[in-house]
Amino acid sequence: MDDQILLSDHASSLSVQAYLRMCGLPIQVVCRYNAEYMSPSGKIPFIHVGNQVVSELGPVVQFTKAKGHSLSDSLDDVQRAEMKAYMELVYNMLLTSELFVQWCDDATAGEISRPRYSSPYSWPLGNILAYQKQWEVRRKMNAIGWGGKTLEQVYEDVNQCCQALSQRLGTQPYFFNKQATELDALVFGHLFTILTTRLTSTELAERVKSYSNLLSFCRRIEQTYFEDKKLMKD
Amino acid sequence: MAAPDELFCWEGDWGLPSVSTDCLVVLFILTKFTVFILKYPGICSPWRSPGGSLPALRTNQNETLSRPSDIIIHLRKQKFNADFDLSAKEGADSLAFISLLEEKLMPALIYTFWVEPKNFVEVTRRWYAEHMMFPLNFFLPGRMQSRQLEKLRLLRGDEHLEAGEELEKELYRDAAECMNLLSQRLGSHKFFFGDSPSSLDAYVFGHLAPILKCKLPNGKLQQHLKSLDNLSDFCSNILLLYFPRDSRAEPSAQKAPAAPEAGDFDNVPNKRRKQFLSALFALGAMLSYALLTGMVSIQHGHQEALEEPPDPEHIGAHEEEGDG
Repeated sequence: MDDQILLSDHASSLSVQAYLRMCGLPIQVVCRYNAEYMSPSGKIPFIHVGNQVVSELGPVVQFTKAKGHSLSDSLDDVQRAEMKAYMELVYNMLLTSELFVQWCDDATAGEISRPRYSSPYSWPLGNILAYQKQWEVRRKMNAIGWGGKTLEQVYEDVNQCCQALSQRLGTQPYFFNKQATELDALVFGHLFTILTTRLTSTELAERVKSYSNLLSFCRRIEQTYFEDKKLMKD
Repeated sequence: MAAPDELFCWEGDWGLPSVSTDCLVVLFILTKFTVFILKYPGICSPWRSPGGSLPALRTNQNETLSRPSDIIIHLRKQKFNADFDLSAKEGADSLAFISLLEEKLMPALIYTFWVEPKNFVEVTRRWYAEHMMFPLNFFLPGRMQSRQLEKLRLLRGDEHLEAGEELEKELYRDAAECMNLLSQRLGSHKFFFGDSPSSLDAYVFGHLAPILKCKLPNGKLQQHLKSLDNLSDFCSNILLLYFPRDSRAEPSAQKAPAAPEAGDFDNVPNKRRKQFLSALFALGAMLSYALLTGMVSIQHGHQEALEEPPDPEHIGAHEEEGDG
């Protein structure tokens, strides 16, 4: 749901939309408040094609590849290795940072994440579900060693990640020169969402804005693949 | 001069300087610099480490760092930069491949050492139980296992994850893909970036060395790794060049498993001491029971006569009391 969706989920969802548009496949975006529970892996987004349901970008890429649509066929082995590694970098650092800022920062969690997450439900169910989700995310952060991090350290990690992406992109139009791949879709989804989402502080967006080639990259993809759709979120 | 930092690491075995991945990463990074750090490498109990877990670096400001990435950042602040010779793009690639390792290979490592039932019972739990002190060896390996299982569950986002063929296939498939990608990236070079090791080399070594060296009953990961020659050579070369003492120690460790099954009892360390302590404990228990129930009584001085074998009528009276 538009009012319910949070930064990290919107980023993932936008990545999949971008990828499918890059493949030239027609899609229809549908919002449901119980999307998390409908998804086979518990994570959104997921696509529903015929009688098959596939969730998350990785499996979606493989699914479309099996149907004959692939963006990374022209890459050689070393490039494919790099592409996979950079995708993991985005998952490992950017997505985790987004989750951290949303749920482990008390200010953001209280003002934005919990109210939004619980908006489709009535009290007290909404509250319970929101706290449960927060607790789950915090446990995961502890397990991977992010539990002791401060917000500043997380912003620094985001900065490092953006620096790495900016280095890799350089002055090329896409990460692998002329052609858009799933890495471009993933990076676009996350960076665009960070830039356009209102949070309690603008630090996260500021870190991304300091890399001009990433900004122009996002603008380019938006103009090329999303010209017919209004992408701006509140 | 400021007090040196202190590093606590798990003990080594199977030809490795340490059995833990994180410890291996830190130890390899440190070989690159001549930095004054006191190393305590033979630690067999996380309770002896300042942070409660291993590896742990206690800085001279009494701060304790446990994650390899934190330790690397700390070293960098002290001007020991493992990635000094890397270009900006290589630094970015380094970050990306380390993320790849942590997302794809680490879950499989956790599974193969801690969750897969045969491996855990026959190798991991036995190793930790043998190397830990009494009484930690009874409960600590089990506790470590539940923590690793929970970590795996949180990483996969599945609360009800259990060891099983499907999970194993998925994890090993991801791990195999990761190893293939690393192999493609390494090619025929000595290290990932140029001729000297960087932090990515340390991470790759830390993750792959235990797989390569430890003989597990379910050794699918090891088989796959051995099929990738450049990665196996990469690990072996690092061990030979940077940890020669430990790689030479390997043959003696391998002779022990060659002995027959009954010989396993002989391999328990401190066997004599344990036997003596057990006998002493048993004797003490019997004596105190005898004293408490009054079967044996200790009288002092002139009453020693009572301890002489009692007369038959006394025995008879005693027996009647016992039957009554």
